[in-house]
Amino acid sequence: MSDARERVLTDVRTALGGGRPDPAAVAREAAATLANPANVQPKFDNFSNLKRFVERATSETVTATVDDVQDFAAVPSAVRRYLSEHGLALDVSMVSVATLTDQDWDDVSYHHTIDPEERVSVCLADYGIAETGTLVFHSCPESPTLFNYLPLHHIVVIEAKKILRYIEDYCAKVRAAGNIHPRNINFITGTSGTADIEARNVRGADGPRFLHIVIIGGGNA
Amino acid sequence: MKQTTAQFKKNVEAALAQPNLKVALDRTTGLLRSRRAEIVAQFPEFETTREIAQQIKNHTIRYLDYYLEEFEKNAIASGAKVHWASTAKEATDAVIAICRAHDAKMATRVKSMLGEEIGLPEALAEAGVERVETDLAEHIIQLAGDPPSHIVMPAMHKTHEEVSELFERHHRNHVKRTEIADLVESARHELRPKYFAAEVGISGANFLIAETGSIVIVTNEGNAELTTAPPKAHIVTVGIEKLVPTMEHCTALLRLLARSAVGTEITQYTTFYNGPKRSGDKDGPEEMHIVLVDHHRTEMLAGNLRAMLHCIRCGACINHCPVYAAIGGHAYGGVYPGPMGSVLTPAMTSLKEAGDLPNACTLNGRCQEVCPVKIPLPDMMRRLREQQYRENFTSPTVRYGLGLWAFAVKRPWLYRLGNRFAIRALGMLGRRKGHIRSLPGTGGWTRHRDLAAPQGGTFMDLYGRRQRGIS
Repeated sequence: MSDARERVLTDVRTALGGGRPDPAAVAREAAATLANPANVQPKFDNFSNLKRFVERATSETVTATVDDVQDFAAVPSAVRRYLSEHGLALDVSMVSVATLTDQDWDDVSYHHTIDPEERVSVCLADYGIAETGTLVFHSCPESPTLFNYLPLHHIVVIEAKKILRYIEDYCAKVRAAGNIHPRNINFITGTSGTADIEARNVRGADGPRFLHIVIIGGGNA
Repeated sequence: MKQTTAQFKKNVEAALAQPNLKVALDRTTGLLRSRRAEIVAQFPEFETTREIAQQIKNHTIRYLDYYLEEFEKNAIASGAKVHWASTAKEATDAVIAICRAHDAKMATRVKSMLGEEIGLPEALAEAGVERVETDLAEHIIQLAGDPPSHIVMPAMHKTHEEVSELFERHHRNHVKRTEIADLVESARHELRPKYFAAEVGISGANFLIAETGSIVIVTNEGNAELTTAPPKAHIVTVGIEKLVPTMEHCTALLRLLARSAVGTEITQYTTFYNGPKRSGDKDGPEEMHIVLVDHHRTEMLAGNLRAMLHCIRCGACINHCPVYAAIGGHAYGGVYPGPMGSVLTPAMTSLKEAGDLPNACTLNGRCQEVCPVKIPLPDMMRRLREQQYRENFTSPTVRYGLGLWAFAVKRPWLYRLGNRFAIRALGMLGRRKGHIRSLPGTGGWTRHRDLAAPQGGTFMDLYGRRQRGIS
């Protein structure tokens, strides 16, 4: 296998015909391509991050529904409201994040496991991205990846202050926090969809068919 | 997959004779084109982003050796194992060895064109590993036993009526229904248990990020995460040209990819994978293997097809190609159809075998206009034609024809005289009906349609008259 490594790298170097580049110079040249990030970003000057996020998330293509609550204490009642409206059992699969489990869930029961045929999961997004109405999840022991992919109804809690403007702003946050990357960074924008049969859009292909976002501290959004 | 590029002309005749194919192609390519146009119109920075994307790919490819080593170092640091493969065989051998190490009976798989390129489906079958395609379109063509006909929508050639029949035959609990939503539900039901039964999950990658050693996969179905999280091992097979320097560079390209491929701002699921399961994780693979594959890419790097390594596999060139719209993907006989395939297939097989492909093009230029990284596809096809001529792969008829034409066109008086004579003769032949039904040597045209009879003389005659103010 190391033979193949040498062969591929040698073939690349021969084709490029150059010597070894100076890493600092390469990094400078790479950075120069994005010297002005505004050149590659869609503009939405008249929208706040929250307003754009909600507008994109509830758009025809992303198809999420949105609820707006004051604080984490109000999350259980928002979840309960959604479950009753959709005629779902008051039993959900929930990530084991303290900000959620510390609340009073009253008659809604929850478990921290997920079944392949799970109906509802309740998750906490690490960030939101206004540009596209995207939710960002970092995998960790408390928040496993599959909680976002297996259920039919995906309920996601997000704090309004975690909604960033562009994907680049998210990259900057990760860099500021030491550029440590979780095993999975999942960008989720809406529900599982397919257009594989005659290019017609259908929801609930492999993953969730419904996405409900509960925004905390968004004021009058 | 089995290459049938060498019999392109036969393939085209067969394709044109299929009425269902025309229906399916009309239903899909039109929708994809209008969705793209709509979303691009909402993003005035699309043009500047294309320019920058081209610079990013140019830069990365220029320092490909440096970025490959950076990627390898950072991927290993995240806990992944990195393998290298110069040829298709080395790549599939690496994958099969990992499957064997896990005693794999079943492998779930996320659509990957590179996987098709290196013949991974065949290699898995030979090794006795059951392959379960999880992308809906790939699932459909796996059941049908068809090769993919489009890189983004591999089952584009199937109507929903045909899919319904397939599912009725193959799905456990399929009741005959023809609503597209019911068909999707049936596939979901069929695939769910398999995600958890597979020992190995295999994917490609849309991007490799050098700085972090991440692999990036985009889907709309969410099947990538379901394929890669439950099994014991996640294997990635990826071409060495997929590198980008950082996550920010990847972001610029992601904005172009979703808009160009399916006409949305972003795909529903974009995941950055950094190594295997970590301590305390409740899901995720115990091992992550990344196979970096050359498979003719360094040859393209050395030759004059280097710009083709910028391709991000969006398929916009295919959706905008009038030739593809008429014949569909299978006729091209290789993994990549349409304009991209007409450049890639000769590079991956040989110009001798795939020589018809660069000629199956009207040089209308739409592919280059829509390409998100501005690959000069028509120029490349023109250069391939020149190379064919130089290397003597062009048919004698074409060579003599070209020779005759060149002789005349270098002597304008002769060219005009010849034209005038031909136009008169054709005009007289079609005088009665206004068209000509058959003519020796033009069977390729007149077998399927009439030839319109020329009216009003040659272009130069008309031009001359107009210049003199006579209409």
